[in-house]
Amino acid sequence: MNLTAIGVSLFRIVTRQKAFVAILAMLVGMLFSGTDFYTAYNLLDMLNSTSILLILAFGVTLTIISGGCDLSIGGILVVSGIMAIKLLDVMPLGLAILLAVLFGAVFGFLNGFLVVHQKTEPFIITLGTGLLLTGIAQQLTDAHPIPAKNPDFMTIGNGDFHGIPNLVLITLVCFGLAYALMRFTAFGRNLYAIGGDYDVALYSGINVIRTKWMAFVISGAAAGLAGVLLSSKLNTGSPVYGETTALVVNCGVVVGGTSFAGGIGGIPQSALGLLVFGLLDNVMNMLGITSYYQVMLKGAAIVIIIWLDCFNQKLKREAV
Amino acid sequence: MQGMNSTLRAGASLVRDYLVLVMIAALVAITALVEPKFMHPANLVNIMRQFGPLIMVSLGMTFVIIGGFIDLSVAGTINLVAVVTISLIQRFGQVPALLIGLAIGTVCGALNSVLILSSGALTQAEALFLTFGMSTVYSAIALLYSHGSTMHFWDISGSKSIFEAIGGGNVGPLSVSFVIFLSCLAALWVFQEKTVEGRAIRLTGGNKTAAHLAGVSVSRAIVLIYTIGGFMAGVGAIVLFSRITTAAPVIGAGYETNAILAVVVGGTTLKGGKGSVLRTVMGVLLVTLMSNCLDLLNVSTYLQVAVKGAILVFAIWLDNRKQD
Repeated sequence: MNLTAIGVSLFRIVTRQKAFVAILAMLVGMLFSGTDFYTAYNLLDMLNSTSILLILAFGVTLTIISGGCDLSIGGILVVSGIMAIKLLDVMPLGLAILLAVLFGAVFGFLNGFLVVHQKTEPFIITLGTGLLLTGIAQQLTDAHPIPAKNPDFMTIGNGDFHGIPNLVLITLVCFGLAYALMRFTAFGRNLYAIGGDYDVALYSGINVIRTKWMAFVISGAAAGLAGVLLSSKLNTGSPVYGETTALVVNCGVVVGGTSFAGGIGGIPQSALGLLVFGLLDNVMNMLGITSYYQVMLKGAAIVIIIWLDCFNQKLKREAV
Repeated sequence: MQGMNSTLRAGASLVRDYLVLVMIAALVAITALVEPKFMHPANLVNIMRQFGPLIMVSLGMTFVIIGGFIDLSVAGTINLVAVVTISLIQRFGQVPALLIGLAIGTVCGALNSVLILSSGALTQAEALFLTFGMSTVYSAIALLYSHGSTMHFWDISGSKSIFEAIGGGNVGPLSVSFVIFLSCLAALWVFQEKTVEGRAIRLTGGNKTAAHLAGVSVSRAIVLIYTIGGFMAGVGAIVLFSRITTAAPVIGAGYETNAILAVVVGGTTLKGGKGSVLRTVMGVLLVTLMSNCLDLLNVSTYLQVAVKGAILVFAIWLDNRKQD
């Protein structure tokens, strides 16, 4: 085996398993950093702060596998978070949370109508509906963070169960549900089929419209839940959090190996992909990198990862 | 009967094609009736000045969208060009600062095209995420360069007459920024209609494979659209900070969505291949007039963001209906 062949196969591994390679590189690198990175406290803290992004990603993965994409999740996240806090003043805790999640689902239904039924371009149209929601969130709060007054609400996002933070447990449950949905149900298989080839799925007798539409509803509901949890964790509803969240989460899903081409990927891959970003944040904080450099490194990571994804698609096209 | 039907149909398609113009006319008429301040000369001058930065960015974005791509990096480019240019006025003088600013915009745009070409990205989605990443990088460089601080005109001790003229000067009845807009529009319109490259961009946006087979250099078209987009974002940045006389490293936030909104509302299709800089002028006019009307009607800036989002969704939906 000559050097070029080794180089090519190495490049293939990096492009296909980029999330895994990135995580491994960071974990190994931190062994020599001499920081408190390898402590149970820090690792749990890292998981805890990534949990919101993970829940968002599970929903988005469904839309990307079906050949779409959801950039409105940032808007849904902030609006449902603010809604939960506002509704707490007038109704019991459970009902307020339920209504906030329901709002996400209803808005997802609207996205689904525009993308699936009316066949608009998902990337642009969900950017538009996200912008609409950002405006609504600012109007609802007058662009200031609003505090929550219910102490029970705060414990959801900040409490723990035998040392494991509630948010991590909720994320694990969501992971299990989403994984089972995609792996063991007809709905999940149909989503893969639709993303793989829309027309073939249609002629195979799959109700393509209803299935793909449902993916958007689930993505909206997941974003609604994430919004409630975020508000609970911060104990405030803030309209600023959602601005770049949607783009970062969609990138994270692609990092994991779910491709914009549709039909490829899965929930575990997305979890790995988002962990890359969670880990990156944690590592940069541990190493004491200043915030402007953090912004730059994150941007560069997004560019490199999406570049690799596109390049891989190109290689595949040329191989055919 | 037959003739009347076809006349009706032709009329309906005409209204649909120029829905934006109809909407502008309706908006102006209603606002002028409800709020007499609207037709006051001071307000009209105000509209002409507000028009400046967005139209420059949108004219560049038009070519990117006609070419079948999208550019989210303009926000980062504006941030970077604004903070670097304003800081160089005192050190190097006005003209070099202006030229360096425009060069940075152009380089940012060209860099986007290099990334897109080298990765072989073909779809709008891939371009959207790549340029979003680049926007973050450009913004971070702007933050690092300026240490996150805002720079004002009064901080500059040397001469800054060119920028003051761009921001507030007049040539006869027109503002200087409006004259800059007219010259950019004329140049870009000639480029779009009368040059081989302009046609190559349109063919690329229509169908990349067909364009390639017809002997059009698709790569060259991609480099051109992003470079023009970056250059025009640079022009927009200079007009913007000259008007508000300050440059913060977050000055460009929101310009990417507003520019896309203006281009699509103008009637340039997101599917690529069709559209015109003239349509974008109408789109920007509508968006600017709408902001002005909502301001006069005391609608909060937050709700205006929501209204813009709703109009963007509606315009994309309408654009999609026209294709069927």
